[in-house]
Amino acid sequence: MSAHSAAVSSPGSGHDAGHAEENKFQIYVQIAMLLAVITGVEIAIVYFPWAKWIVVSLLVVLSVVKFMFVIFYFMHLRWDKPFCTILFFIGLIIAGGTAWALLALFTAEASLPLPV
Amino acid sequence: MSSHAATATIDHHHDPTTSTGIPNKKLLMWTFLASDCMFFGALISTHLIYRLHPPAGGLDPKQIFSVELTSFSTFVLLMSSLMMALAVTAIQKGNLKSCRWSLLTTIFFGMIFLGCQVYEFEHFVHEKNMTLSNSLLGSTFYTLTGTHGCHVAIGVLWLSLMYVRSFKVASRPSWLNHQLLHALTFIVVLLLSLKVTLGLVHSLQTVPTFGAAISDFFSHQGIYIGGFLLALWGLFWFARPRGTVQFNESNAIDVESMGLYWHFVDIVWIVIFTAVYLLEYL
Repeated sequence: MSAHSAAVSSPGSGHDAGHAEENKFQIYVQIAMLLAVITGVEIAIVYFPWAKWIVVSLLVVLSVVKFMFVIFYFMHLRWDKPFCTILFFIGLIIAGGTAWALLALFTAEASLPLPV
Repeated sequence: MSSHAATATIDHHHDPTTSTGIPNKKLLMWTFLASDCMFFGALISTHLIYRLHPPAGGLDPKQIFSVELTSFSTFVLLMSSLMMALAVTAIQKGNLKSCRWSLLTTIFFGMIFLGCQVYEFEHFVHEKNMTLSNSLLGSTFYTLTGTHGCHVAIGVLWLSLMYVRSFKVASRPSWLNHQLLHALTFIVVLLLSLKVTLGLVHSLQTVPTFGAAISDFFSHQGIYIGGFLLALWGLFWFARPRGTVQFNESNAIDVESMGLYWHFVDIVWIVIFTAVYLLEYL
């Protein structure tokens, strides 16, 4: 592969990057354990006798937390240029907006199929 | 492999030679992932819409889904993401051996996930009578989870090719043939391991006693076990040291781009696990 892919940085940022690399192993393992625990909590709360809206809200929040941990740490968005985050969130927002619009449209009475 | 001193001067997150300061391969992958978000967004929405308006007399997902199996799959995929992240870190530090082991572990977890999905689909079709075309739930469920499964399968293939790529020797003129045979052997090992494992599970479930199940397994899967062991030996043969390899820190961006794809598959599953499976149990 070409040398283009691995750019040479300035001494200051190289030192910072090197320090971050050393800590990454511990960070990744801790995050993986946290994600496993959150998954366990998600499975447990669906059996709790709480109001449906509370459980749904909790599931959404926990999923978003897992999602963010993976994209910002495992996918390195935390250490990459902000443009990568902006680019990905453009797709994510369009996808979320489409999902929201479709769900809203098909919940409307007028769009429900007529009984046969 | 290069030394640690060289690693300290490499910034794997920025590339001043491009106009954006981001390595082009990484930019390409993030753009693709953004578009794939929309693809999965449409599939997940479709499933949810039909679940919010289920047809009368339709199948009950609670009677069909197995939250235990799906939870196990989710845990396996999360662990594969950890190993993928470690593979990227290892190659960024020039640690080729650690990178290879991390890639192999990621492939192993990916294959477990695929095995669980094949088992789940087979169980749903044959035991629960839910096919792609006989119910609305089946149509949206198989389309969504099947598309995700295809993404995982492509990821496993990509990981396998990257693993094989890490053995490329600079001095050999016939490296391409060698690499192709190595990749082919790897794929044969993966397919046969899946076939043999599912065969074992099938025997253990259908035959009442353990001894008879093992006997049934060897009588039905003997030829595949033989093929698997032969291909596994081939993998060890291909992996023997043959000289200085052309795979080091400068390839970190290739492993990282592949890692981005793999983690994306994981985050899509995080959403599917909640939206498709867990919400049904409320």
